Amino acid sequence: MSSVIWYLYEFARKSWAEKFTAAKTDSEIMEVPSRFRDFPEVRKEYCIACGACTAACPAPMAIKLVRTSDSAHEDGITYPVINNRGCIRCGFCAEVCPTDPKTLLCGENHLIREEFTILPVDKMFVIDDYLCIRCKKCLKACSEVAGAISEVDKKMVIDQSKCIGCGECIKNCPVKGAVKGIYINNVEEQKEIINMVVDTLEARIEADQDKIKKLAPEEVYKIDYPIDDLVKKAREIIPNDELIRDSIEKITDRLKMRILTWDDEKCTNCRLCTSECPSGAITYDKEKGVQRNPDKCLKCSICYQTCPFGVAGLYVARFLLSDTSLKDGVIQITLKPSQLPIRS
Amino acid sequence: MLDGLKDIIRKSSIHVCLVSTGGCNGCDIEVVALLSPRYDLEQYGIYVTNNPREADVVLVTGAVTEQWRDKLERIFAKVPDPKIVVAIGNCPLSGDVFNQEGGSVYAPVSDYIPVDAEVSGCPPRPTEILAAILSAGPDAIAAKGRQKV
Repeated sequence: MSSVIWYLYEFARKSWAEKFTAAKTDSEIMEVPSRFRDFPEVRKEYCIACGACTAACPAPMAIKLVRTSDSAHEDGITYPVINNRGCIRCGFCAEVCPTDPKTLLCGENHLIREEFTILPVDKMFVIDDYLCIRCKKCLKACSEVAGAISEVDKKMVIDQSKCIGCGECIKNCPVKGAVKGIYINNVEEQKEIINMVVDTLEARIEADQDKIKKLAPEEVYKIDYPIDDLVKKAREIIPNDELIRDSIEKITDRLKMRILTWDDEKCTNCRLCTSECPSGAITYDKEKGVQRNPDKCLKCSICYQTCPFGVAGLYVARFLLSDTSLKDGVIQITLKPSQLPIRS
Repeated sequence: MLDGLKDIIRKSSIHVCLVSTGGCNGCDIEVVALLSPRYDLEQYGIYVTNNPREADVVLVTGAVTEQWRDKLERIFAKVPDPKIVVAIGNCPLSGDVFNQEGGSVYAPVSDYIPVDAEVSGCPPRPTEILAAILSAGPDAIAAKGRQKV
């Protein structure tokens, strides 16, 4: 009963009647909020006609670059024209526009400029966070260049736009490989050197196969390999001694090679391995028996794990460069039988 | 006298029929937002109907797919005179992102039916759609109603 009286009272009020007759949506809702990203605004005078906006635009007919015709005094200007009937208001064009100030304005977008150093350095220095022990010795060594090395999120980071490439950080780093000097140029030549070195080392180990086959399970086989002929071949690819030494050192530090030996005498032609081999390197022939094609072999170790007679032998080779001078440097190769279990 | 009365009634009661001819449905969702209490389409005397035979205004969204080419014309023929068409979003205007090379959309809509008002945007804001319906709707319907067909 009381609620009915309350309603009657409420309806009798003048303000209620006013609101009821003039019920409209708040003008605030109808207004476009300031954060709304509307169609791009073009400022012709800044355009450099790079075409980045047209390349970034996802809609097929939204942006066109047009050029006004030349007059007697001036060349015509080029500028983008936005077709509102095609534009999806994504703002990509404004984001990629490289002019400063921007030719295209669309919402709040920021151009992401790639960091680079303008100094002509051939080496880029990078800190490997996996190996870094955060001793901050590089930070102290780099004190002359303000802000080139800094601590971000408890990680040491080199700012590429400030680094001058002096290499002080790499000299002061106590961990081998925590600071890496990467050659920016001659990438293809570097690849060639790496392939050449790895192929030569593998060939050298394969040459000793007969001795390796006779290794006892816990025995270690050692080869010393002088690097003169590697250096000679590398100099033919690129005559830069520092780069060659750097590459060979990095290869020997990081390379871990699998060596697969094949003992035909032990083979009983059971053909367990032929179906298991993923690359089809092992084939069976009625006259020749089971054959392995070393060129096709991926060294995946499946045949080693499958064979019950020990025909395939798996060894792991590691490398160490004893002397970093190019003349009498020797790569020490250590070969150990693999610890992988054989399936039974 | 009778025309004046008809005008008033037509202006204050517009029935709108939404036809989606194959797009991403973004514009349809914006139209649904227009129906919601926040924007409240019915305070302007605009009602949404699913039946083209009852509609005064046809809202077209989408880029006209193969299936819609003849059906769009059939739907338009079913709408009683006076009728106006509002194209919503970029799809019925230009095909937008669907109008790629080798694509099978047949935009623009104006190739098939006469378009009276356009709202560009992908999708347009609900207020932009409302403004287009209100600017084109009442007067155009009233004017068209007086024409001797």
